[in-house]
Amino acid sequence: MNEVRTSIVTAVPLEWVLLVAAGLFCIGLFGALSRRNIVGILMGVELMLNAVNINLIAFWRYLEPTSTSGLVFSIFTITVAAAEVAVGLAMVISVYRTRRTINADEIDTLRG
Amino acid sequence: MNLFEFGWLIPLLPLGAFALITVFSPFYRSKHISSGIAIGAMLLATILAWGIGAQGATDGFHGAGTEADQTAEGAEAEHAAEGEGGGTESHFAGFGDAYQTGFDWAATGNTIFRMGYYIDAPVAAMLAMVTLASLCIHIFSSGYMAEDKRYSRFFSYISLFTASMLGMLLADNLLLFFICWELMGLCSYLLIGFWYFRPSAYQAAKKAFITTRIGDVGMMLGLLYLYREAGSLSLGTGEGQIFNPEFLQRIGSTTNTLGISVATGIALLLFMGTVGKSAQFPLHVWLPDAMEGPTPVSALIHAATMVAAGVFLVARTYPIFLAGNALPVVAIIGAFTAVFAALIAVAQFDIKRILAYSTLSQLGFMVAALGIGGWAAGLFHLLTHAFFKALLFLGSGSVIHGMEAAVGHDPVKAQDIRNMGALRRYMPITWITYLFGFLALAGIPPFAGFWSKDEILADSFEVGFAGGSAIGIVVYIALSFAAFLTAFYMTRQYVVVFNGEFRGMDPRPANADPSEKVAVETGHNTHGVGEHTAAVYDAHGHSAHQAHSPHESPWTMTLPLVILALFALGAGFVNAGAPPLNIHWFAHFLAQEAPTFNWLTAGIATGLALLGILLGWLMYRNAFVHSTDTDPLEAMAPGLFRVLNNKFGVDELYGATVGRATDGLGVGLRLIDRAVDGVVNGVGLLSLLWGKLNFILDDFVLNQGADTLAEVTTYTGDGMRQTATGKIQDYGALIFVGVLIIGLIYLYAF
Repeated sequence: MNEVRTSIVTAVPLEWVLLVAAGLFCIGLFGALSRRNIVGILMGVELMLNAVNINLIAFWRYLEPTSTSGLVFSIFTITVAAAEVAVGLAMVISVYRTRRTINADEIDTLRG
Repeated sequence: MNLFEFGWLIPLLPLGAFALITVFSPFYRSKHISSGIAIGAMLLATILAWGIGAQGATDGFHGAGTEADQTAEGAEAEHAAEGEGGGTESHFAGFGDAYQTGFDWAATGNTIFRMGYYIDAPVAAMLAMVTLASLCIHIFSSGYMAEDKRYSRFFSYISLFTASMLGMLLADNLLLFFICWELMGLCSYLLIGFWYFRPSAYQAAKKAFITTRIGDVGMMLGLLYLYREAGSLSLGTGEGQIFNPEFLQRIGSTTNTLGISVATGIALLLFMGTVGKSAQFPLHVWLPDAMEGPTPVSALIHAATMVAAGVFLVARTYPIFLAGNALPVVAIIGAFTAVFAALIAVAQFDIKRILAYSTLSQLGFMVAALGIGGWAAGLFHLLTHAFFKALLFLGSGSVIHGMEAAVGHDPVKAQDIRNMGALRRYMPITWITYLFGFLALAGIPPFAGFWSKDEILADSFEVGFAGGSAIGIVVYIALSFAAFLTAFYMTRQYVVVFNGEFRGMDPRPANADPSEKVAVETGHNTHGVGEHTAAVYDAHGHSAHQAHSPHESPWTMTLPLVILALFALGAGFVNAGAPPLNIHWFAHFLAQEAPTFNWLTAGIATGLALLGILLGWLMYRNAFVHSTDTDPLEAMAPGLFRVLNNKFGVDELYGATVGRATDGLGVGLRLIDRAVDGVVNGVGLLSLLWGKLNFILDDFVLNQGADTLAEVTTYTGDGMRQTATGKIQDYGALIFVGVLIIGLIYLYAF
């Protein structure tokens, strides 16, 4: 039988992937803006970053599969995200030690 | 030890005394301390001055910076001999060596003005005379002023006065000279007006100050002119100094726009200073009025300081006079003043006024001597005259002091010679010393006045008859006449004061003499004020009692008289040129050639003096029996006497011309002032309006505008502040909204 080799490119249109990424981004954004726990906020940020990663990979795979820049970009993003989480969690611990709370609403020293 | 190095101490000692007395009130309050300081400082200065004189006489006047002068000396003497072109022959042979030292004072650009002091033979001689005379006057004052309430102030003033004179003598440049000269003007003002509650005293002070100022303006112009030409005011013959031979040659041969040589112009301007300070005609009017000051002040002004300064100015700047043609003017003014003042002196009754006019006359002698080239003679007469004139003034002070016991503290009564008489019986020491002064002034050998006056007459005789100069002849005749008059009026004064019977028990009424206008004014004024202030200006502490006999003065007053009397007798022997004596020490000291003694002029002068004395004796021996008697001269020639008594009306003339002109000028200036006032007021009004306009603009536009701006800024800031909650999620939401908006714009706008 003439098996039609179907790849994800033919099976799933680009728009769907982008919609998934947008949804993920919105979930992350909502989480980042609505959580009162700083750790939750960081998790939301991670979701938004991953949504971006999906976008990068999707555009590479659908539009420019021959170049490697999409892959490299996403690797960079993951690395930076890891570093960001490390710094962010260290700051959370530091804030907790000084203020005995990680509630974002209570940390408002910069209020004008 | 080189005493010249301490020369600067001489003026600083009395200046220090002035400062100490004035600044420290304990000194000021105590009479003994203040007079002690002043007299002590004066004594030290005297010792130092005589030490310097002695050193100069034995070792000469070498010193810093004179090496260059040495070489120029010969050239200058040569030049001096050929320099005068007015037909006069000069006996001046240069200044001789000098000690000069100083420091850079004002360095501006390339010119450096030096200040310092300068000692040569004439300076040393003057220092010795001024310090000694001033010392005597200081000691005399401690007795004469003993009861005055402002005793300490008097001593501080006379210390400053003497310090200025000494500073002027020692000045090594004409600027310092001028500064000290003006300081003397100030001191004369303060001292003539010392009893300022007498209207006549403060008027006399103003008159002295303003009159001398007229001369000083000329002198200052002369100094500026000289500085412009020479670029320096430093005394000395070196390069760039004012007596440099090439410089004198240059100013002597350059002609300015007036058609006279530059040197003549400078010399005439400088001579104006002399005319003012030494009270030569026509600026002589202040000196007789200066008699309003306390008598020691009169002595100081007439002998040691002030008037000597004017003559010394000419003597000091003599090379400039020689370089130009100014000397004939000097000679004529001097000779005229000598005769003019001697004539006035004949008809005065105030003992001090007679002496004042005699000073004018003698100053005329000195100035005339300088004018005909008798530099050494003029200086010699200046020195001897200082001694016997100080003696005569202090003697008259002693007489007045004694008279006040008899007639009370009325200067008009106590100084009128018609109220005196027979004082030799009451005041023997004063009498003897006064006799010495009288003989010296009259020019009787061997007293000091004879030698110096004779030297002047011999010089003018030689210039006039041997040199064939008309000016010399005129000067000789004028001075001989003046010498005769001097003997006459001094005999008149002496006989009326010391001989006859005492008339003070019944003194003249104050206003018996309508011709003595000034004196009458004085009398009225002091009567008006005097009743109340008698205790204040009462110099001698006696209440105004009458019918006492005059008495001899205390030793503080007679001791200076004795010292000065010895000098009046002996001072002339430093230059007694008559053959058996042949003393030319002073001429050699001044580095001048010794003059030959002229038996003819000496004989004529002595004869004239004796004639004057004889005439005076005959006329005044029995002239006054009562104090109200008429002067015999007035009886003989009433019109002439009135003119002389009225001083030729020069005061009235000045009142009618200069005084009127000044009044008129004042009225005119007032009119101009009114006009100027109007303009000024108009400008003021306009400024006011403009100011109001500005105020409106300021208040309503600028102020309000700025306020509104500030309010808006505050309000906006407050609003914006609300968004800065400090909560990270609010910021995140805002960023999200922002990105959303930018995204929407991006989507739909482009």
